[in-house]
Amino acid sequence: MTAAEQTGKQSYVLLHVGNRRFALRSELVEELAPPVRLHHFPNTTALVAGVIVRRGRIVPVYDVAPVLCGRESSIHRFYLVARRSFGTDSEASAIPVNGECELASAELLPTAVGEPGYFTGSLEVGDEKIQVLNLEALVRSRAGSNDSSNSAGFRR
Amino acid sequence: MKFASNDSSKPRRARHSEAVILFCIANQTFAIAADAVQEIRSTDSLGGAAIEIEQAEVPKVRHLVERARRTYYVVSGCAHFGLRVTRPTLVLILRQIRAAVLVDSIERMADVTTIHPLPRAFEGEERKWYRGLTYLEDRVIPVIHPGGFLTVEEFARLDQAAAASNAAQQMVGAEQG
Repeated sequence: MTAAEQTGKQSYVLLHVGNRRFALRSELVEELAPPVRLHHFPNTTALVAGVIVRRGRIVPVYDVAPVLCGRESSIHRFYLVARRSFGTDSEASAIPVNGECELASAELLPTAVGEPGYFTGSLEVGDEKIQVLNLEALVRSRAGSNDSSNSAGFRR
Repeated sequence: MKFASNDSSKPRRARHSEAVILFCIANQTFAIAADAVQEIRSTDSLGGAAIEIEQAEVPKVRHLVERARRTYYVVSGCAHFGLRVTRPTLVLILRQIRAAVLVDSIERMADVTTIHPLPRAFEGEERKWYRGLTYLEDRVIPVIHPGGFLTVEEFARLDQAAAASNAAQQMVGAEQG
């Protein structure tokens, strides 16, 4: 057991999306990838912006900025690669981030009433309250807005 | 006379490759297995043979062509993939299914050794459109699933519309005769 676990704290990666900071459980995070090329092709899945190639694998990229910040983020420089669960299996998934990621240990505080379901709680880091992301709920948050009609098929 | 190979003890890794045709629709490159394509024709050469479908049963299909006593439904690649409308110059007539696809241009042929499965993150129509993805010269290119252009149900609706259109034409012909 780590020192953090002994004190009831867990380890999180703090990431910047748009101009806000969020946290993700560190055990889900694989790496912070450099600004490699984003490959686009037609698709109708909400939030999936394209794919990147990392270590011979094709990794889907979720553009979560519109959900988290209400608008597209044009300033992302890196990709945070994390595992997304699919039942008993998982898949590497990338989120565009600003690059300023750090590791922090903190106690998870419960979500406030009325907060979106893609937050699992929050952390207090210094004076800042940082919301913890539930990656699965986050990428599913726009699933209902999937437009299977072809007119909305290609997102850039 | 046979010469023994020096490395006969080593298992030779047979790397299977597949010939694909790279084609473009609205500046987007796609790959399709070469053996899934029976014929590539220019839209100009096919113009006279194309019959307009009067009822818009399937919006992405506006024409049919008869080839070797088979009816092929001509699918607009732009409409199928939700891309901006362009002026197609070529038609890919498919081998296994009664569909032809309007495309802008052929880029070239290539051999691909690996087709990666489409990541499970993709949950929409693209799961029917693509067999997978290939990585070719620093580009990720979707590999088309030919059977994804038209569903069985769309074929049935188109067959009905084509039959109705044919019957109407015969009736007009009989009245004029």
